[in-house]
Amino acid sequence: MDETVAEFIKRTILKIPMTEMMTILKAWDFLPENQLQTVNFRQRKESLVQDLVLLCESKRASLRDAALLDIIYTQFHRHQKVWDVFQMSKEPGEDVDLFDMERFKSSFEKILRRALKNVTVSFRDAEENAVWIRIAWGTQYRKPNQYKPVYVVYYSQTPYAFTSFCHLKSNTPLLSQALTVASNHHKIVKMDLRSRYLDSLKAIVFKQYNQLETKFKSDFHGGILAERKEPLRCLIKFSSPHLLEALKSLAPAGIADAPLSPLLTCIPNKGMNYFKIRDK
Amino acid sequence: MEWANDKSKGGVLAHLERLETQMSRSCKNLEDPPRETAESDLGTKIHKLRCLRDKLRAEVKQRQARIKASTANAEPDQTLEISEQEAVGGKEENMKAILQAYRFTGLSGKRTSRGVCVCISTAFEGNLLDSYFVDLVIQKPLRIHHHSVPVFIPLEEISAKYLQTNIQHFLFCLCEYLNAYAGRKYQADQLQRDFAAFLAGPLQRNSLCNLLSFTYKVEPQGRSFPFCARLLYKDLTTTLPTDVTITYQGTDASSTSWEEQRASHENLFFTKPLHQVFTSFARNGER
Repeated sequence: MDETVAEFIKRTILKIPMTEMMTILKAWDFLPENQLQTVNFRQRKESLVQDLVLLCESKRASLRDAALLDIIYTQFHRHQKVWDVFQMSKEPGEDVDLFDMERFKSSFEKILRRALKNVTVSFRDAEENAVWIRIAWGTQYRKPNQYKPVYVVYYSQTPYAFTSFCHLKSNTPLLSQALTVASNHHKIVKMDLRSRYLDSLKAIVFKQYNQLETKFKSDFHGGILAERKEPLRCLIKFSSPHLLEALKSLAPAGIADAPLSPLLTCIPNKGMNYFKIRDK
Repeated sequence: MEWANDKSKGGVLAHLERLETQMSRSCKNLEDPPRETAESDLGTKIHKLRCLRDKLRAEVKQRQARIKASTANAEPDQTLEISEQEAVGGKEENMKAILQAYRFTGLSGKRTSRGVCVCISTAFEGNLLDSYFVDLVIQKPLRIHHHSVPVFIPLEEISAKYLQTNIQHFLFCLCEYLNAYAGRKYQADQLQRDFAAFLAGPLQRNSLCNLLSFTYKVEPQGRSFPFCARLLYKDLTTTLPTDVTITYQGTDASSTSWEEQRASHENLFFTKPLHQVFTSFARNGER
């Protein structure tokens, strides 16, 4: 096993919290169950990691296997990344989209490789017909940096792609092109929408609403807030199955002054939560 | 303002609430009114509320009268406004009639403060599947407020074509797409769940379930997986494929019996839902 691969696997496993170790290794499915049972999971983490890396060496883990482990770790810790949203569009009147996942993957990788010889591309299928893509960028003369990869989450036959924040902005046009062409779109645009929470971003761009009416719920049983003549200053923590809708209903419920700041209300309508405020 | 640092239990607001309950309790203890006075208190309250109700009713009547009076001497623009109101009211009636008529196609709806919320229940071969809703605001122009239609269903295209001009057609068209999607998804799910023994590896599919690719065999006991299937559903309003390609991967490709089988499979996939095709494979195997 390549020394760089061994080091990469070691550093990835070291990041995994002990409470998740078994779950993630099982999801990786590279070390079989019976081999994992021979490892002492109660020892100090550094020794455990050494044992695991030795097992990986004996099974001749490749860069591909290591990249897959990295994807799984990131899927478990997706909140550690900040996600941007790209919106793609097609020409009007196009044929029905017969999305073929295997063709998408090979097309995507081909486009990247044609432009950049030193790049590592890995895929992992996910639920709801989505795919997680991991890209480690290199340059013409340098091998890919496995420690600063970019992730893309794409749900098939949708116009949206979620990408983790990329330090190397110079590769964004290439990534955009690969995504657009491989998914049968024509244009791509970055939205002013950014968050650590993929589920929230999904809910906003996929416009997924459930039918529950969001009511304002007070813990004080109307005691302190009822029949007041003067305004009350305090810190309020909002939590709700659909927070933005709940905020919208504050004004009609008579609890907040209307109209609510458009900064809050435009988030679902315009699909943006990233605002640049400038002097006039 | 940060009240979180307050040391007492629950902070200042809770403290204020405790004071409030203390006060109301002490008030209760001081004056424990005898039953009769309590009853007469309630009686006064009822009388007050009735007066308030009558007052509000009178106000409403006054406002309605004012509107009628102003429209009697109205400018042409104002009368247009009223007829628009009537048009909107007419749309509501129309909507109600449509929903009553389409109840049996899985379409139902309920009135909302803004318009109507339509619920589309999908089904395939007598199995009730997922439901989706579209919350319509009855205004000019008619618009969709909320919906739970999956993002890969071309809702925007369908509403651009029909929503303003023909609500009936809009709903019918959307029903078609959703029912067809639900039916394709049902077939793919059934194949994965009930006939996994006939498949080599995972079933390749996509969000719309309009491209399915898999390798299969006709006998669960057999060891080789000789057939590769690629099904395309180019018409999103149907649950049967528009293109079927079956290829034979076995080693004795020259044998005519394999070619016959391949051709007959192609025909089966064109004409029968997926799970029915595999049910017939299973039945043939049992013979």
